[in-house]
Amino acid sequence: MLPDYYEFICPVKVLCGRKALSNLPYELKQLGASRPLVITDQGVVGAKLMDKVKAAFNDSDIEIAAIFEETPPDSSNHVVNEVAKLYQQNDCDSFVAVGGGSVIDTTKGVNVVVSEKTDDLLKFQGVDRISAAMQPFIAVPTTAGTGSEVTAAAVISNVDAGHKMALMSNKLYPQVAIVDPAMTMTMPAKITAATGMDAMTHAVEAYICIQKNPISDAYASAAIKLMREYLIKAVEDGSNDEARLGMANAALLAGISFSNSMVGIVHAMAHACGGVAHVPHGVANSILLPFGMEYNLEKVPQHISLLAHMLGVEVSGLDEKQKAEKAIEKIRQISEKLNGLCGLATRLRDAGVREDQLEQIATVALNDGALTYNPEEADYDDILKLLKAAY
Amino acid sequence: MTIHGNVHGEGSSKKNGLKIGNKLKVITAKTSLMALGVTFELCAKYVPEMKNEISDWEDGRNVGIGVLPTGPYITVRKDGEKFTYLGSGLQDAEISILFKNLDSAMMIFLGQLGAADAVAENRVCVQGQNYMAMQVTRAMAIVQTYLFPGFILRNTFKRPPKLNGQQIATKAKIMGLLTPKLIGASFK
Repeated sequence: MLPDYYEFICPVKVLCGRKALSNLPYELKQLGASRPLVITDQGVVGAKLMDKVKAAFNDSDIEIAAIFEETPPDSSNHVVNEVAKLYQQNDCDSFVAVGGGSVIDTTKGVNVVVSEKTDDLLKFQGVDRISAAMQPFIAVPTTAGTGSEVTAAAVISNVDAGHKMALMSNKLYPQVAIVDPAMTMTMPAKITAATGMDAMTHAVEAYICIQKNPISDAYASAAIKLMREYLIKAVEDGSNDEARLGMANAALLAGISFSNSMVGIVHAMAHACGGVAHVPHGVANSILLPFGMEYNLEKVPQHISLLAHMLGVEVSGLDEKQKAEKAIEKIRQISEKLNGLCGLATRLRDAGVREDQLEQIATVALNDGALTYNPEEADYDDILKLLKAAY
Repeated sequence: MTIHGNVHGEGSSKKNGLKIGNKLKVITAKTSLMALGVTFELCAKYVPEMKNEISDWEDGRNVGIGVLPTGPYITVRKDGEKFTYLGSGLQDAEISILFKNLDSAMMIFLGQLGAADAVAENRVCVQGQNYMAMQVTRAMAIVQTYLFPGFILRNTFKRPPKLNGQQIATKAKIMGLLTPKLIGASFK
């Protein structure tokens, strides 16, 4: 059934494949930029990925104006303001974000501060609050992944107020995303698994939530089929470039999908687990995904049943509900396999969540915007029940 | 080709029809928003679920609801256990829920579209913090439960509320108090 009305946007130019990174100076020039600020983190530096970025400029007349290497895992408004000062002091004219979701979101935040000539991101919380033209921005993801290189959102902690700020605007999209599998080769198995399951959750929730539309469905479906093929392979053998390329593509497609059809109860709970118990996002999503799918089963069996085909499950002779149950079972099997391969947690208790934190997690999840898009209504008691089941 | 002047012709019924249509929408939106604002007050007074929902909201929170780009808008304020309808306009709202245009607002006010679907169809823009938006959305759901007839709730809620005897009596009380309250509110 088609939605009565939907919107879809993806204005990002995507360069994806082997040696994609060598196009970085050319793309900057196309954007009229000559003094980029490169924003990254110590993980990227430690993995020697910044050497690849610097090498991309070797035969170019563009010089990196400044580099910020200290982006923390949970970015904040203080970091954003610090980086904005660096941008202005070095007379930069563009951004290159090299890293995972936190680095890319930080860059989005800095772009807002610099372009809106402000030091107060609080004013831009919510939807469509940004009006100034943004500076040129190229994202180079090093995980596969959050899909932040193709989303219109940035989540940044407001340290002073003690909560996370969500900024959503089409102006937050980078102009270019350079997806080079070489930038993900050094990811350890457990992070490959966790970020891969993050991408899986994006695609699955995008496919079943109430904002789904035919275009986002196409992207979600393509993403799931790639992950069916490559997720386990990438975890088993990190040097498998075909698997790394497959997962890089899958994360990108899943990112485009969920940016246009949002996510639901799994992400609401995962965000809360991250905020309260510091569970890494991909780990939380991996644990909670089958529980979220089960919760939505009665409401949207027709959508969940189609996931079975995409996941490669044999479903001939089964009715819709049985197919949907098979899809959920397959997700569980993938989680169990990843647990065996690299120790990725399958229960909240194994991810460091204490039982006495579940009520607080439920309270926080109840106020997460992602819940709006979930097919089934969920109140505090429903969420707590799910968390206890996943504990 | 450039067209100058009145495209529809002076005094044309189509031009007048458009104007009348839009005027009616504005009147409907103003009345609906006023009813919403007044029902916030009544629900905070008589509905236990509302008292529970707003119990951890900070005092002095102003909530704006309205229609872009030029209104109408209303603001309600939470203090202690009560809501006060402050009247028209966005009055220092910490959180605003704004429909992108009159047509989108009409779909909600006339019970054709639920709040979740309005958000999913990008008909609404939120100014303020995410967690506040979720709290306001839940409070609005309570208001709609006591404002709209059952058949509209069944079409617009993901999980239509099932009211018990006590709640049905409260709903009848709120409906009875609504008209005099609306008359009073129209002077704000």
